[in-house]
Amino acid sequence: MAFSSGYTIGFATAVCLVCSLSIASVSVGLKERQDDNKRRDLQSNILGALGLPEDGHDLVGEEIDQLWAARVDFRVIDPSGALVVGADGDRDGDGDLDEEDVLISLGNAEEGAVPDLCSLYVRKDGDKEASYAIPMMGDGLWGPITGYLALNPEATLVTGVTFFAPKETPGLGAEIQNAKFKDQWVGKKVVDSTGKGKTIQVVKGAADVLCPGETDWCVDGVSGATITSRGVDVMVAQSLDWYDNYLITLRGR
Amino acid sequence: MSSPATEIKADSAPMFVWNKKTKALITDPFLDDNPITVQVLGICSALAVTVQLNTSLVMAAAVTAVICSSNVTISMVRNLIPPQIRIIVQLSIIASMVIVVDQVLQAFLYDISKALSVFVGLIITNCIIMGRAEAYAMANPPWQSFLDGLGNGLGYGAILVTVAFFRELFGSGSLFGFQVVPEAAYDAGYENMGLMVLAPGAFILLGLLIWAQRSYTGFSEA
Repeated sequence: MAFSSGYTIGFATAVCLVCSLSIASVSVGLKERQDDNKRRDLQSNILGALGLPEDGHDLVGEEIDQLWAARVDFRVIDPSGALVVGADGDRDGDGDLDEEDVLISLGNAEEGAVPDLCSLYVRKDGDKEASYAIPMMGDGLWGPITGYLALNPEATLVTGVTFFAPKETPGLGAEIQNAKFKDQWVGKKVVDSTGKGKTIQVVKGAADVLCPGETDWCVDGVSGATITSRGVDVMVAQSLDWYDNYLITLRGR
Repeated sequence: MSSPATEIKADSAPMFVWNKKTKALITDPFLDDNPITVQVLGICSALAVTVQLNTSLVMAAAVTAVICSSNVTISMVRNLIPPQIRIIVQLSIIASMVIVVDQVLQAFLYDISKALSVFVGLIITNCIIMGRAEAYAMANPPWQSFLDGLGNGLGYGAILVTVAFFRELFGSGSLFGFQVVPEAAYDAGYENMGLMVLAPGAFILLGLLIWAQRSYTGFSEA
């Protein structure tokens, strides 16, 4: 069957139109649901690092929103560790201080420098502040890795941790997201014997063999994922450094 | 996915024939004409998503959904497609469907879509789908094309799940994420096989599968 050039061009145009229309409508129609999923995924991970919910059951949907609103405070500090409130931290000009402003500040900071706004999440048990989750950012093998490190109120011990490694190899680098790796962090110390800040190392092999006498500041890396493990090591050290001034004030209380 | 029942106009004869020939469309791709072990197509994803059973099952379902719907759609318009631009038309249709599947996964199965990450998008480049569109759907009515897509999707999925079963069992000591190798075995010195979570482990398993299947069916390239 012979087709004229006009028909061919017309057919191609029609295919493009139909394809793009269907993709656009699906994408727009599901956008809200996808955004909710992403936000809740992040929130449930922060909640998990903060040890919420207490019974450890898996949270779904609106439950996350409710628990988040009831138990978690968003807080912003500057590099000196002082609390930033309200308009002082407004970077995007919308009049309030939120995650957006922190991201802008992060984008403006020079490579390796501490941004002038740093966020953290506080778990409240009634009026008491029960735990602090500080964000972490670093590089894995294939892409960025991030996480939250939760500390006790005295800022001396790790009470929970969560990692995101969306680009890392499943079964290898992505294993840092699994309970087996994360559970090791709980109870590790972020201060040395004199009370000064000290980071936690990720080592290649068994921590009790490679860090004799130092196991409180040492976790096993993921075997077969040396570069991702090293990325975690660097990322934890950087975050503890960024928040050091704030953590010192917590320890001094 | 799009049901052929409402959309298809029969070219001739009855629409939904079910006989030996149509049955073979589904059963052949499992053994005699398996897209992975006989035609050796779709190897890339067979290596990439088979570390765990969960991801490989969803991948199999996603590929089957895409291949069925793309086969039906392409078959429906097969007489309208100008031959000069048929490949790019097939690709556009397939790519659109993959994006739709990806969006749906992100909205309704977020955890799994996270686990599959980039590989859902890469279904577009899965040779099996293009292969079936070009080799079958372009020349056959929608119902047969649907069955052909279903058979090939499931045949692909069967291999994926088989490889994932062994990789997860030996590589992580679990199935569907549940620990099956008892803790006592680890205490006694048993270790997970690191090779199985790496791509070479999948290559070796796939090679063994191809060997087993070809010696069973007597298939030979020559």
